[in-house]
Amino acid sequence: MKIAVLVKQVPGPESALPINDHGTWVDEESVTFVMNPPDNFALEEALLIKEGKGDGEVVVVSMGPDRVQKVIREGLAKGADRGIHIEEVGPIEKDPLHIAKRFTAVLKDENFDLVLTGLQSDDTGMGQTGVLIGEMLGISTATLAVETDIKDGHIRLKRELESGWFQWVEFPLPASISIQSGLNTPRYPSLKGIMGAKKKEIKTVSCTELDISSNCQSVDKVFVPQTSKHSEVIDGEVDAAVERIVEILKSEIKVI
Amino acid sequence: MDSITFLPVEKFILAVLTAAAVGSFSFEVYRRLAIVLKGTGSLPFDRFPERLLRVFREVILHEKVIRERPWPGIMHALVFWGFLVFGVITLDHFFIGFYKPLLSESAHKAYSYVVIPFSILVIFGILSLSYRRFITQPKALGKLSPTSGLVAFFIVTLMATYLLGEMDISQYLWKVNWWIHSIVILAFLFLIPRSKHLHLVLGPFNIFFKPFDQPDHTAVHIDLEGDEDELDEMLNDLTKLTQNQALDIFSCVECGRCTDVCPANRGGGILDPKNHFILDLREPLLQDKDVAVLDKINVEAGWECTTCQACTEVCPVGNHVEKSDEIRRLEVLVEGRVPQEYQKLFTNLQETGNTEGASGSALADSLPVFTSDKEYVLWLGCFARHGLDPDFNRSVENFTKILDTAGVSYGVLEQEHCSGDPVNRLGDKLTYTMLREHNMEQLAETKKVVTLCPHCAVNLGKEYEKYDKVNYTVEHHTQVVGRLIEEGKIKVQMGDNGKVTYHDPCNLSRILDIVDEPRTAIQSATSEFQEMKESGRETLCCGAGGALWWKKETQGRTHLVRAEQVIESEVDTVVTGCNFCYGMMKQGLGPMTPEGREEVVVKDVADIVAENLI
Repeated sequence: MKIAVLVKQVPGPESALPINDHGTWVDEESVTFVMNPPDNFALEEALLIKEGKGDGEVVVVSMGPDRVQKVIREGLAKGADRGIHIEEVGPIEKDPLHIAKRFTAVLKDENFDLVLTGLQSDDTGMGQTGVLIGEMLGISTATLAVETDIKDGHIRLKRELESGWFQWVEFPLPASISIQSGLNTPRYPSLKGIMGAKKKEIKTVSCTELDISSNCQSVDKVFVPQTSKHSEVIDGEVDAAVERIVEILKSEIKVI
Repeated sequence: MDSITFLPVEKFILAVLTAAAVGSFSFEVYRRLAIVLKGTGSLPFDRFPERLLRVFREVILHEKVIRERPWPGIMHALVFWGFLVFGVITLDHFFIGFYKPLLSESAHKAYSYVVIPFSILVIFGILSLSYRRFITQPKALGKLSPTSGLVAFFIVTLMATYLLGEMDISQYLWKVNWWIHSIVILAFLFLIPRSKHLHLVLGPFNIFFKPFDQPDHTAVHIDLEGDEDELDEMLNDLTKLTQNQALDIFSCVECGRCTDVCPANRGGGILDPKNHFILDLREPLLQDKDVAVLDKINVEAGWECTTCQACTEVCPVGNHVEKSDEIRRLEVLVEGRVPQEYQKLFTNLQETGNTEGASGSALADSLPVFTSDKEYVLWLGCFARHGLDPDFNRSVENFTKILDTAGVSYGVLEQEHCSGDPVNRLGDKLTYTMLREHNMEQLAETKKVVTLCPHCAVNLGKEYEKYDKVNYTVEHHTQVVGRLIEEGKIKVQMGDNGKVTYHDPCNLSRILDIVDEPRTAIQSATSEFQEMKESGRETLCCGAGGALWWKKETQGRTHLVRAEQVIESEVDTVVTGCNFCYGMMKQGLGPMTPEGREEVVVKDVADIVAENLI
């Protein structure tokens, strides 16, 4: 059983999120990055499947600048066997189709039995990458798994639907599955794991090596929702107050 | 009794029985000591006079035994003192059998005026204790122990046979009586090492060796760049008891005082220190004949511990009971099994150096920055820095007001990171190493540190010292405030806070032994001070210790028991000296105050003093 876990590095839930000078993304300099929390559940599921089978390989795959090596290392410390780093130079890609194409280019020759992703990434929250990759690789695809069971080249999944409904599906491997958060209890890297991770291989693939056509989506502007409230207390003589109110209605709010 | 003679065959039987009993006793004790000596570290002999004095107070005077449970304590003392008084009598007894009396007839007669009253007191004592054990049956003693019944029967028999021997009885009866007395003593020798009654041999030694500092967990040195074999050995050692801990296990008298005082247990949790931290390890030790047994501690129970040290403080035989550090570090460093909320806490600390994952602190920004011309580094700690209870900002401001009034200079460190208390207590010694090394660099040029957080005070001082040479002194703010009042640097008037009590934080009272200074400060500002029932070193934990502040899903109501006691004490104001106690107390008092009653006001020592500065 050869399993790929796609892991993204995203700003931590407690991190400050200042917008960069160009208004195109967050200012990465002042952001603390963590492993995308939903991916952590996908990683744990992969490790549990491997441990359940007694053999196999778990490969952590991540895309981004050099900093993402940290989450790959974290995956290795928790028990993954090797890592693949798709190296991005310049601004990080946000178009899921484009991202999926890059991953597919790297994954296709590896012949994974299972590609696991988290439900979605906590930064852009698109939730499409895993599905798109499944399609591009021409393998079975399912989303929102809350239970997995692998038998004789097949995978049986419990999927979460809406309103408290669940669905059991079964299909042949290989497959690309997105994992619902909370289905397991992610482990913490042990000291031995952390030491061992240093010796495990991380293969780096440059984005420029992947001949990918231009993207379909781009981010125009990133901004913080404007929620400011402005209030002014007008006191003093009634006449002066009325005059001020009229002025506001005319020149500031421009309703009269 | 000069005319009593023992036939050679009798002497032979006596010799065989005595040799068997002494042999068995020695073998059983040796078996246990051999295991103890396999432990890591060594038994301490430093501060020898202090250790002896402790043995005198806790063994001979029975101070601790009596203080915690006065009536059973006194009864136990009677039996123990009787045991001492009987020493000579027992020796004399066997001398008679083997050779001739040790004591002259007149000496025997004179001594009997002491021994006879004592034998009656011992009977009274042991019957009282038996009544308690078999009729009252307090929960702490656990399930009924037949051995205890047998021991009580033996002791009464010994006393009765002694008293009978002192009477004017026929030679035949005297001899039968003598044999009964002898056989019971020899049977005792068989029984003692195989039961909790071994405490009467090991207890005094265990009290002698008890660490002066609590908690006394070994340092965990982690070098990620180091040799892998060394790391393996270090991880391997994490399952091993120290010699001192191993001796504890065999010294336990199973009285259950530790469980009685445990806040987790009292709050309805599963943690039972007597069993989880001590007795559960006894059989594995004997079976494996080895000390690598720490992984036998119940993990779930280990996570419940507030590390308050009440169990260790109360133990009458000198055990360092608490072992949450040992089981947690195994879970974190070896197994990688960490509750989810703690994983988040660890990540926050690794990424940002603070428990909340915050990127700045408004409070720190509002305070002067430390420069070398200033006297104190004002160490804020994450609780104050990141507003774990926003009201506590006021307490920090009140403390700075006191320092300003007294003309004491101070400043905060811009790069202060968490002292590491949560990760240290939760077993993540790797993150602790990171934080500690960062802070030691920040404090390299510092001479004096003052903090409002006892958890930070313990770590910056005692805990860092286990790893590095610490060149600065650490004071808790209540020490500084108390001293400023005593030196007359600040003047405080009696204020109106109604009835005031003080909740001793565990880290302050039990770990740092700071009990008087906060009281000096509080009593300068109120005339209506009253103690809580459990106070000073016998305080009850608020429930936040051991990083349980960050544990969202807890069984039981450990965090409410102390607040409940405050409400029951019918005070108007509760003062504390710890930010975590402050926050915990407020969280508990809010929902638990009965309708129609005013909520007890929670204050820090700095608040009550600053509000009444003249």
